Amino acid sequence: MTAVVTRPDPKDTAGEPDPRDPEVRLAQLLDVDSMAPLRPKDASGVYAVRGRINGAKAVAYCTDATKMGGAMGSEGCRHIVEAIDTAVKERVPVIGLWHSGGARLAEGVEALDAVGSVFAAMVRASGKVPQISVVLGPAAGGAAYGPALTDIVIMAPTGRVFVTGPDVVRSVTGEQIDMEGLGGPDAHARKSGVVHVTADDEADAYARARRITSLFSLPGVFDLHRVRNDNADLKAMLPASARRAYDVRPLVRRILDHDETSSSFEELQPRWAPNIVVGLGRLAGRTVGVIANNPLRMGGCLDSASAEKASRFVRMCDSFGVPLLVLVDVPGYLPGVGQEWDGVVRRGAKLLHAFAEAIVPRVTLVTRKAYGGAYIAMNARCLGATSVFAWPDAEVAVMGARAAVGILHRKKLAAAPEEEREALHNQLAEEHERIAGGVNRALAIGVVDEVIEPTQTRYRLAESLAAAPAGRGAHGNIPL
Amino acid sequence: MAEEIHAEMVANVLQVVVAEGDEVRRDDTLVLLESMKMEIPVITEVGGVVAKVAVQPGQVVQRGDLIAVVE
Repeated sequence: MTAVVTRPDPKDTAGEPDPRDPEVRLAQLLDVDSMAPLRPKDASGVYAVRGRINGAKAVAYCTDATKMGGAMGSEGCRHIVEAIDTAVKERVPVIGLWHSGGARLAEGVEALDAVGSVFAAMVRASGKVPQISVVLGPAAGGAAYGPALTDIVIMAPTGRVFVTGPDVVRSVTGEQIDMEGLGGPDAHARKSGVVHVTADDEADAYARARRITSLFSLPGVFDLHRVRNDNADLKAMLPASARRAYDVRPLVRRILDHDETSSSFEELQPRWAPNIVVGLGRLAGRTVGVIANNPLRMGGCLDSASAEKASRFVRMCDSFGVPLLVLVDVPGYLPGVGQEWDGVVRRGAKLLHAFAEAIVPRVTLVTRKAYGGAYIAMNARCLGATSVFAWPDAEVAVMGARAAVGILHRKKLAAAPEEEREALHNQLAEEHERIAGGVNRALAIGVVDEVIEPTQTRYRLAESLAAAPAGRGAHGNIPL
Repeated sequence: MAEEIHAEMVANVLQVVVAEGDEVRRDDTLVLLESMKMEIPVITEVGGVVAKVAVQPGQVVQRGDLIAVVE
């Protein structure tokens, strides 16, 4: 059925268009007057178009919430598949606007089959063109897995994502929860990690989708003139004491292109696994991906959730040819029964795999410390880093000097009289620091290329990324 | 609405920064923990009044333990 429905919705008779109308929604996403439908508007519940975002070509589709709550039937699903396949053929990003109750019940298994074909199209496109989802209303069942298969999920305050709604949850498990509690922005931004960006309102959701799409479709080139004369002492943004925590995000925003009031940094999944910060931004005009430990949260340690968050981001950037900038200040992997049983070995292995596999230029900067297994996982030389830099006084070691001598000289320390033990421990730690500590050993064996002046940070990072051969990983972006 | 703030990881309680009844703003530090040889602030994601502080200096908290309640 491709019957063209021209009869307006009864609500439209007042002249005011329904804000849920796909044409109204897509018009807010795309540049003014840039929208051209792939097919005429019909009763399928999906509208798909070509258009432009900041001048760059894109394909977009929107489920029609004014028809059966946006439920997806076979015809509508065919439109989505066509939109995705068109984007792949034309090598442009594809943006989906979601407001859908899931598969059309009346169509039965036919609708299920069609929804599955949407998933298959998304996987075919995975890693080939950026796929961005904006969840504007309920996205249940099949409509939940659609966004989840794409690279970036943006959610408006009215967005809800769940496999089964509150009624089914109540009847099966007895749990009492409303739609927002179950699958609203807070649930998915903080607890599940499903959502990458929570928007302030629907207009903000389109604005964020436009900014993120442009970071992919208008990647720019490294223009070193833009960073050559920036000589600010970025190390001054770190606290004086090495034990003190700080928020790494102001440093990230400052390293990336910025002006007085704003930065180009678009953080992804900021409230889930917040001990690692990931996001896109521009350095010297070129789109880059940033991965940074955040000492403010859990001391910046790596754990199973943060390793998984970072590995998916690394693989996404690699598949789209986005160079990576890795800021390291990591005390280690979080120890504990909970972590081990939570699969820190299995999920931590994903990060090793992601970095070692990545062929995009990827530069590491150790700002304060890199200890143990977490040192390796944060894009160390052995995993194939393009360059590894360190700021002066940074430490690269298996563990901190005090902890190291506590193990190496356990017997000697135990044999010392108790009143002298503390002094001996300090003395041994100092000696250890001199021989094995700091960054000197790492420099000597070539796992750190160079200690750079903090005032030269932006220039040296951009220079290294610009000099490396551009590449792009030939793989999809499985939602790890 | 009451917001419960729980420990994100096993840690020693170094210092309790706020007292019950104090007004706090988003991103204020409630308690200072020590773990991984780092001083780690426990921050509130909501503003309000501290209704309860559930820990004392010197105590060990496990992941998920209640630290404070902000209303």
